[in-house]
Amino acid sequence: MLYKLQTIFLNMIKKPAIEIFQLSKDYLESGQQHVIFKDLTLSVTEGEFIVLLGRSGSGKSTLLNLISGLDQPSVGDILVNDINLCGLTEQQRTLFRRHHIGFVFQAYNLIPTLTVAENLLLPLELINPVSSNDKNKVVELLTQLGLANRLDSYPDRLSGGEQQRIAIARALVHNPDIILADEPTGNLDIDTGKQVLELLDNMVRNVGKTLIMATHSEEVIGKADRVFAINNQSLKLVADNR
Amino acid sequence: MRRLLKKASRNFLYLHPWQLVLAILGITLGVAVVVSIDLALESSLNAFKQTTQALSGKASYRIIASDGGLDEKLYTRLRVIHGIQNLSPVVNGYVDSTATTTNNTFRLYGIDPLIENSFQSAWQQQYEDGDSLSIMTEPNTVLISRQTAQKMQLQIGDPFPVTTDTGLHVLKIIDWLPENDAGELFKHLIITDIATAQEILGLVGKLSAIDVLITDVQTAKIQRIREALPADVLLMPLNNQIESLRHMTQAFSINLTALGMLSLLVGMFLIYNSMTFLVLQRRRLIGSLRSIGVTRQQIFRLIIGEALLLALIGTVLGIVLGIILGKNLLPLISGTINAIYYPVDHSALIVTPVQIATGFLMGIAATLLAVLAPAWEATRQSPHRVLIRSELESGVRRLIQSAAMLAVLFIIAGLSLIMLTGNNVTLGLISIFLMLLGFALLTPLLTFVLMTMLEGGLSRSSSVLARIPVRMVKSEISRTGCAIATLMIAVAAAIGMDLMIGSFRMTVSEWVQASLQADMYVNLSGNMQAANKSAADHLLKQKLAQLDGVEMLSSVLRTRLIRGDTPSKISVFEINTRSRQGFIFKRSLNSEVWETFNRQNSVFVTEPYAYHQGIEIGDSIKLRTAQGEQSFKVIAIYADYSGDQGHIAMSRNIYQRYWPDLGYSGIGVYAEQGSNVVQLEADIKQLLKPYQTVRSEQVIYKVSMQMFEHTFKITETLRWLAAIIAFVGVFSALMAIQFERTRQLGILRAMGMTPGQLSRLISIETGLMGLIAGLFAIPVGFIMAYLLIFVVYLRSFGWTMAFHFDLSVIFQGLLLAIISALLAGVLPALKMAHTKPADALRAE
Ligand SMILES: Nc1ncnc2c1ncn2[C@@H]1O[C@H](COP(=O)(O)OP(=O)(O)OP(=O)(O)O)[C@@H](O)[C@H]1O
Ligand SMILES: [Mg+2]
Repeated sequence: MLYKLQTIFLNMIKKPAIEIFQLSKDYLESGQQHVIFKDLTLSVTEGEFIVLLGRSGSGKSTLLNLISGLDQPSVGDILVNDINLCGLTEQQRTLFRRHHIGFVFQAYNLIPTLTVAENLLLPLELINPVSSNDKNKVVELLTQLGLANRLDSYPDRLSGGEQQRIAIARALVHNPDIILADEPTGNLDIDTGKQVLELLDNMVRNVGKTLIMATHSEEVIGKADRVFAINNQSLKLVADNR
Repeated sequence: MRRLLKKASRNFLYLHPWQLVLAILGITLGVAVVVSIDLALESSLNAFKQTTQALSGKASYRIIASDGGLDEKLYTRLRVIHGIQNLSPVVNGYVDSTATTTNNTFRLYGIDPLIENSFQSAWQQQYEDGDSLSIMTEPNTVLISRQTAQKMQLQIGDPFPVTTDTGLHVLKIIDWLPENDAGELFKHLIITDIATAQEILGLVGKLSAIDVLITDVQTAKIQRIREALPADVLLMPLNNQIESLRHMTQAFSINLTALGMLSLLVGMFLIYNSMTFLVLQRRRLIGSLRSIGVTRQQIFRLIIGEALLLALIGTVLGIVLGIILGKNLLPLISGTINAIYYPVDHSALIVTPVQIATGFLMGIAATLLAVLAPAWEATRQSPHRVLIRSELESGVRRLIQSAAMLAVLFIIAGLSLIMLTGNNVTLGLISIFLMLLGFALLTPLLTFVLMTMLEGGLSRSSSVLARIPVRMVKSEISRTGCAIATLMIAVAAAIGMDLMIGSFRMTVSEWVQASLQADMYVNLSGNMQAANKSAADHLLKQKLAQLDGVEMLSSVLRTRLIRGDTPSKISVFEINTRSRQGFIFKRSLNSEVWETFNRQNSVFVTEPYAYHQGIEIGDSIKLRTAQGEQSFKVIAIYADYSGDQGHIAMSRNIYQRYWPDLGYSGIGVYAEQGSNVVQLEADIKQLLKPYQTVRSEQVIYKVSMQMFEHTFKITETLRWLAAIIAFVGVFSALMAIQFERTRQLGILRAMGMTPGQLSRLISIETGLMGLIAGLFAIPVGFIMAYLLIFVVYLRSFGWTMAFHFDLSVIFQGLLLAIISALLAGVLPALKMAHTKPADALRAE
């Protein structure tokens, strides 16, 4: 009990990494307005691990896209590190994303024309010209993942699990504060999925990064700080493990 | 099932309207250019036939003489002494109307209104109504088209002033020409009686021709007329004359048609690209269809059916556009024919069902040909197989290899065709097309090799961003290769033609300069048949010789003589020591050519004449004289680029032995060293009649070169049309390429690449593609130029010219390739850069 209070207190003094106010998203399709969700409000503290549940089509990906600035809300505000994304231009949002966000997709989404090493170097080069230091970093990261021997392979020569591990490495290599993962295990078998989740757990939680993950995997729920579900166009707290 | 299948494919097509539009545009533009050239060319060439038919009616033969003209007594003799019926004498010439301020040239056609109505020519319809025979009762009256008169604000009864060599004549409009389908021709025609025409044109006592009506069964009549005619007068079937003109312009026609085909070829690349895109985008749909039991044949038919639908729309639009374009090309083409072959009357664009059908079939055939590969590709899609990249890649490698093998085959076929086809122009052009296609097929391999090399070069640099464009070009080589090949063909054609035209220009310029040995040239003009011309010309020449500062004179008479059964152009020269240097001999017998030329029955022939007539040095040419045929030995062949049929050259000494004096066409004036040339020119002007001119050697040079440029106007226009189609093709390919990698670009955006960075990336890629196209186009353009000069032009016209290398052409070609690729890439780049990343990531 005391422990719980303590964490609540700690969470209160911790800076909120992401704040979402009355967020709505709708889209037009053949002249008709469809609402994905409306009036979402959520505050995520630094280092927190949030899991998003919801059946297919409920808007999980949409929410992650909004947080990363890949998409824009219809109504509402998103503050990341006190920066209001809705007030930024496309260019500014891109620069923001470049520095602060690491994205892991369900479909790995590695650049097929770049080798594994190049895929990892790209986020670094977007920030600064590549140095030998960067190269070392990439090698080190891949060694950690047990993929050091695949440095010069093209992504499509790797297995799904290997690709997803690279994708995680790519999301982390430039040291962003927030990691967004959209069903990172969706395309993997159970065992490989477990490995990947473990990896995310190790590399994100243990270094204090904020992680939001959309998933269907029951496995993860236990590890998350809080679990939300998008249901009937709104966000519901399903579990709070803090 | 079939309905469902069609629906599935159609729904998909709606999703990519721009690719559909571009595919249709490819067909439309290609067909339009081919159809327009066909229509404009046929109409121009038909103008002569039309004129002949409208004016000569049912006449099937024509009696003509060399430029000396026919004595009008011949007509009376044929009619009265030989009792030959159905003859129609004609006096024909051109006059300038001064009724309005804008100068208008009219064909003046003098006829005998009293002849039998059996000719049924257009002008005779006038008299069927039993109306006014007034043009014969009243001298100096004319018939003119009502439309033209209205445009000039003239009425019946108004005066109609014209000028000719003989001065100003005021004619009177007495009636309208009959309404006729040859409307355009009649707009520039005035008809009068023979006597008036003779007087106005200075042809008193002469006729231009006598039309003869001979039915199929009257072969005896032909014999009778032939026997009655003097030796230097020819009875010639009218069809032969029309045919020979057609033959004369054959090479010109074939070359123009080939230029049109270039557009169609480039259009085919566009269609190929669009259809490949539409098939590849449906890989999954086709896979699903196959898995639910749709057969390969059904898929094939589906794709071909789609293509046919597109072809139908595109071809119909192309024909409509072709007619519009044809109207605009018509003046250009008739202008060129006018400048280098024979006078063509104004003509309207004639559209025949056969031409439409040909255009239609060509559009459909070209589309089907272009779509065969993608359709086959679609059938190979096995049900539900997930295509992994490495598999695709090895497929692409195989594709590059087979394309390269095919390319070698095409190039070898092209080369052998050149070697084996002697002088055939069409086959020469086909071999060029084969080689061009071969080089296009070689492009993917070349691109692959170049990109691999560039990649190797970049491996030392640590920048990943720099590597992306190179990898993109390389990894999507089946698409990028097609775009590069399209651009390469267009640029190579441009380089080839520019180098060819440049070499030709250089050769012609050198030739004109060499030919212009005199300081000034007097153009005496005048109607050859005019009775007093020769005396007046001689008087003028005498006066010129006496002018202060004149060292010597040379002269030329350009006329026609009858060789065998056809008229041949001949230039009759009076040559002095300086004008000799104006002859550039390609081949000659010995150093005494000039002696022989002046004293013996001998001639020179120009290079094209020798080529077309198959004449070698030492051969004899037989020419008709009043005393029968005479033989002349060919002793030299010399360069001449003034016409592509060429002519014979004869010394005036020899000419005067056999033919009547017709005066001069031109006199060259050689000024004394240090004399005042400007003063001399003014002095000469004083001696000239209003229609005669004197021009300095520099002015003639300038005018000649302007004429040269003018004759290439149509070539330039068509080349630009091909370039525009190529541009659309590259644009379509780039749109397709970018669309296909929407998701990949979305990932880059998600990783923090800004819209600006992304569009820069795409621009570098397209610039790179342009560069490859440009680099490859240089050697291919060189080969094209070489083939155009040493195969096509030589075979078409008999001209030899020196290859002239021009670095700026190469540079321009390279620039053209890069700039057009960059321009074509702007829209796709912007479109991709500004696609919302969230949407891009949602893409397949
Ligand atoms: N731009 C758009 N155009 C059309 N529909 C859209 C658009 N954006 C989102 N949608 C729709 O919004 C809904 C939510 O999509 P989203 O991808 O966020 O769902 P999800 O929860 O991630 O589903 P899944 O678990 O299948 O990934 C879907 O029905 C989707 O079709
Ligand atoms: Mg999703």
